[in-house]
Amino acid sequence: MPGKIEKDSVTGTETTGHEWDGIRELNTPLPKWWVYVWIASIVWGIGYMLVYPSVPYGPGYFHGLLGYSSRSHVAHEVAEVDAKRDIYMKKIAAQPFSAIEKNPQLMQVAETAGAITFAENCQPCHGQGGEGRLGYPALAAGAWIWGGTLPAIRQTITYGIRSGDPQARDSQMPPFGKSGMLNAGQIQQVASFVWSKFYGHPTKGEDIAPGAKIFAANCAVCHGPQGQGNPAFGAPRLASHVHLYGDFRASIVRQVTDPRMGVMPNWNKRLDPATIKAVAIYVHDLGGGQ
Amino acid sequence: MDFETGDIVVGLMVAALGLLGLFLAARAWDDEMYLFGLALAGFAVLFDFGVVRRHFDRKDAALAARRAGHE
Amino acid sequence: MSEHVLPARPVVYNDAVVKKFVIACLVWAIVAFLAGVYIASELAWPQLNIAPYLNFGRLRPVHTSAAIFAFGGSALIGTSFYVVQRTCRARLWGGEALANFVFWGYQIFIVLAASSYLLGFSKSREYAEPEWHLDLLLVLVWVCYLLIYLGTLMRRAEPHIYVANWFYLGFIITIAMLVIVNNLGIPISPYSAKSYSWFSGVQDAMVQWWYGHNAVGFFLTVPFLGMMYYFIPKAANRPIYSYRLSIVHFWALIFIYIWAGPHHLLWTALPDWTQTLGMAFSIMLWMPSWGGMINGLMTLSGAWDKLRTDPGLRFSVTAVGFYGMSTFEGPAMSIRSVNALVHYSDWVIGHVHSGTLGWVAFITFGALYYLVPNLWGRKGLYSVRLAAWHYWIGTLGIVFYIASMWVAGLMEGLMWRAYDRFGFLKYSFVQVVVAEHPFMVLRMIGGVLFTIGAILMIYNLWMTVRSPATEAPRAELLPAGLPAGAVVAGE
Repeated sequence: MPGKIEKDSVTGTETTGHEWDGIRELNTPLPKWWVYVWIASIVWGIGYMLVYPSVPYGPGYFHGLLGYSSRSHVAHEVAEVDAKRDIYMKKIAAQPFSAIEKNPQLMQVAETAGAITFAENCQPCHGQGGEGRLGYPALAAGAWIWGGTLPAIRQTITYGIRSGDPQARDSQMPPFGKSGMLNAGQIQQVASFVWSKFYGHPTKGEDIAPGAKIFAANCAVCHGPQGQGNPAFGAPRLASHVHLYGDFRASIVRQVTDPRMGVMPNWNKRLDPATIKAVAIYVHDLGGGQ
Repeated sequence: MDFETGDIVVGLMVAALGLLGLFLAARAWDDEMYLFGLALAGFAVLFDFGVVRRHFDRKDAALAARRAGHE
Repeated sequence: MSEHVLPARPVVYNDAVVKKFVIACLVWAIVAFLAGVYIASELAWPQLNIAPYLNFGRLRPVHTSAAIFAFGGSALIGTSFYVVQRTCRARLWGGEALANFVFWGYQIFIVLAASSYLLGFSKSREYAEPEWHLDLLLVLVWVCYLLIYLGTLMRRAEPHIYVANWFYLGFIITIAMLVIVNNLGIPISPYSAKSYSWFSGVQDAMVQWWYGHNAVGFFLTVPFLGMMYYFIPKAANRPIYSYRLSIVHFWALIFIYIWAGPHHLLWTALPDWTQTLGMAFSIMLWMPSWGGMINGLMTLSGAWDKLRTDPGLRFSVTAVGFYGMSTFEGPAMSIRSVNALVHYSDWVIGHVHSGTLGWVAFITFGALYYLVPNLWGRKGLYSVRLAAWHYWIGTLGIVFYIASMWVAGLMEGLMWRAYDRFGFLKYSFVQVVVAEHPFMVLRMIGGVLFTIGAILMIYNLWMTVRSPATEAPRAELLPAGLPAGAVVAGE
């Protein structure tokens, strides 16, 4: 029920005369600063909506007095960055590797561009320092499946491996076990040979002669009689401490039986040629470039 | 017997919800719908039992109050 | 001034349902805070992602739903029932059964939503993750809630409706609209929990963030202001500072808040004109929000000394302070050039939690410390000291949380946009993630502190209800001037 209007002893203001469960309200006017700031924000808001794209109507909208568009804003910023990069990247695109390597300024740019591009694109598979992972080749170990010269690295990055690009690098390890070319016993023999002779883990008393024969007849044609590999058709070097599927005998058996063949994407659609050259230089210099 | 209107309306609504739940659970395509249907049914049973309990609790309390008043 | 004038016939309020919501609120507080600490730990130590049930992707909505709907929602429905009855001097409309249905129906909605997330079901709409069947259940419960609230207002014995009720009513109606529109979708079958949104593309994004921002506005702001408008004047025993300000800022708030959604989509594919409207209205929202802060703080005039003795009031007033801070931070972050730096960064999470921990949770704690002794007819709190400990530990937790997220967010934004002199990015994305790690740990510690404070509160409130030390003698006046016996609290 409406009470009577009272004067609040603390503030000197009158109450509204209403009361709910003991709660009363003072009749204090709106704080002036609050009103002014609010009106100012409304004036500012109207102004902002005049200057920038704001009100829609039918199929269109008011583009604002400045004619601002976030798309053209972004395009402008991208063009600015491109212009900055082009100062050196155009030279990197035009000059051969041999000339770039002799130019410290260009090398610095290439290393920078290569480093960040590697970190954003290559690191998920090849590791932060190019150390590789199971199934993803190490790039810093000096072990190159398709060759470690700058032109070779550039080609691998550009067209990929088994990537579907018409100029992709391609190689096929025959499925010796799955196709029946070798039976299980033969696979075990050749695995023992490779594990002992090339991987460097000889087992005392094991007879590797049968395996050696199988290797010479089936594997040496691609992997080389000394297991040295052949980068011309991507046959990995077996006589090494670096192994794509790990330093495990079981991996050898698996690969001979039913081989896994990884895919490296082609970067020609996502990176421009100058950037690819920069990445090639960066990767080459991770340690182990040929 | 004297019933509160709210008890009847809500009780019937929840009972319908429970039946719907059983129906959904019976034809459920996935675990979630199955669980949901059974939960609705279980909820309906427990809730409606609660409505009935409170009805009789109120009756008993009113009876006890009347008896205490007469003494 | 503090004398409560009793009407001719004492009203018997339905406080049983309020008690239920208070207890639920306390239970869900612990669930929400623990879930938050766990997911914060997962961000620092990903090994904690024990698939599939404890994966971050499944637990995150458990935390957000528990915090907003379970903890916040129970606090709101409970206090709204308490406040509407007393400021209308009318018992809740609809009878016991309907009120109980709103309580139990809401609780079962919460439990089913959380279990659906753990099972891997989600619409993937932020704060609207529950699938269609749960949305329908929520709408049913919500309609009943609205009926009870409106019915009570309509049978009021007071001629005017107190301001707190405008805020609560605005909340109930607007949330109904928001939930219904944003969750419009087509189930693949009535017997499957999977559905597809009615909307798609950038329009879908706009609908979702119209909802998402107004979930924050009309769930986490407007009704908690309603809570403030009741519990601060009651605890301080002072009149509301300005009736006129309450009218103007209420209408301004509910009109302007609705437009601010696009500020979640600045610098995205959302059309420029929509982004402009979102930003402009977010700036115009600043003073209407501060109207609530001014009224809340200035009501303390003449009662500031109570902050030394009443820990609940301390929570409420601090909450209003955080409210003022967050409602300045929000418009600032809505400025396009500022947003270009902080969008997608941890600053956003810092802003969210200064609002949810600093404002929402603290004003709720203030209300709970006032409510529990009242509802259970106790002399007062079991331990004022424990409540003070809660206050300081909780505040320290909030400071850890916000500060670590501000630093992390600024750092992220700056690192993401750092270019070297040749025009190349300086840092890869992963490098920025790694740099965040110490702040993820600090934030988790903030959450742990906040949870410890809440545990102290639950113990304190439990003992308040159970301990013989707080039993009120029969004839004694309960706090806030309610004579014992005038309020019969159901069972």
